[in-house]
Amino acid sequence: MIDLGIVDIREILKTIQTKYKYDFSNYALTSLKQRLEKFIIRNSLIDANGLLKKLKEHPEEFDTFLHEISVPSSEMFRDPSLWRWLREVHFANLSDHDLMNYKIWLPNCVSGGELYSLCILLHEIGLLNKVKIIASSASEANIINIKNGSYDLKKIEISAENYKRFQGSGSFQSYYTIDRYFAIRNKSLINNVEFRRQNINFDDSPINVKLIIFRNSLIYYNPTLQEKVLANMYENLSATGLLIIGIREKIRESSTYKGFEIINEFERVYKKKL
Amino acid sequence: MQYKAIIIGGSAGSFQVVTKILNSLSKDFPMPVLLCLHRLKHVRSGFVEALSIKSNIPIEEPYDKDILKSGKAYLAPANYHMFVELSNRIALSTEDPLNHSRPSIDLSFITAANAYRDKLIGIILSGANRDGAFGLKKVHDNGGVAIVQDPAECEVKAMTQSALQLTPVDYVYTTDQIISFLLKL
Repeated sequence: MIDLGIVDIREILKTIQTKYKYDFSNYALTSLKQRLEKFIIRNSLIDANGLLKKLKEHPEEFDTFLHEISVPSSEMFRDPSLWRWLREVHFANLSDHDLMNYKIWLPNCVSGGELYSLCILLHEIGLLNKVKIIASSASEANIINIKNGSYDLKKIEISAENYKRFQGSGSFQSYYTIDRYFAIRNKSLINNVEFRRQNINFDDSPINVKLIIFRNSLIYYNPTLQEKVLANMYENLSATGLLIIGIREKIRESSTYKGFEIINEFERVYKKKL
Repeated sequence: MQYKAIIIGGSAGSFQVVTKILNSLSKDFPMPVLLCLHRLKHVRSGFVEALSIKSNIPIEEPYDKDILKSGKAYLAPANYHMFVELSNRIALSTEDPLNHSRPSIDLSFITAANAYRDKLIGIILSGANRDGAFGLKKVHDNGGVAIVQDPAECEVKAMTQSALQLTPVDYVYTTDQIISFLLKL
């Protein structure tokens, strides 16, 4: 059991900042500490010094570090009622005009749980080829994994239960196969998805986006970074575009807050004000 | 003030005990009460309402980064881990379950113990697995007060017995004793 002290963590973050220009200083400390500890254990690095040595001497492994430090989606179709709302209220009411240049952005993809859920939903209502989807991720390794379709087999059972509650029109088993320890999701679902690398500040993000699905990422930031990222998302949304965050996340009173109105409190759907 | 927070962990058989404790606290209770109770991951509403019926202090499922306040109870939301940041804020997480549990009692207790050190009171109640044992040890190791509900009184004993095996706790108390301890704070 490793217990990183605050001094260790500061030193690790300083090293990353200096060498790789990545600023983790506004990440929520409790979760970051756990991810760093997990990384140390998984890579047999023993302690903070082992991690520091790896970061300093192996720049070629920094992408793997970014991959392993990010928290993967807990399951597919998490909060089935949100996905039902998207299908029955949101997408059902889009006109052909609305669908012109309809751009959806999923920032911070890690394992593609949200991305594949969205693509399955859109596939089932016949919209998959009518919208533009952009998925961005901090790490190339994340993108490779998502493109391969591989997914933690342990998460399939709960995902299937969620899909049942979502009342999808297909059969969940038809969307993946099993290859030993992994589920391999049907890659044809993401044929038209554009993947992008994103940096920590979300610079160079897609613009004129109609829908941003950004659930359970803000929880890993402190309020300062949350505010900064939300201001960025606000800029990227088109007028009356929607931002969906996790069900226990909220946009706090601040400058950005005034630019959004909440249109579904239970599912945390915000709309950019005109 | 000697203590800054109370954290309570429980699972099967703990609901009655938790409600009894909450009902006994006055509305000006001088610190926040954190509740990490195992619950169904897909049932989002109803639990807070059930706990609140006779409670004098408000009980809420926090939003991420809410600031912890005295005289309030915070229930870990379904399908999230609930942590305490050094800044006295709640932080939520969708990390993998620990001991098959999300929320994990261990993780809530460990982060609270890091944030409050010797100013924390940790209480483990009736429950069906060993979640919480390691967390209570952390509370104790950091100088906080470790309390376990008397297994003789527990509907399900596994959780309290695991905690007792791992940690030389400060008190083994019945529900009534836990309440009179808290009322003296």
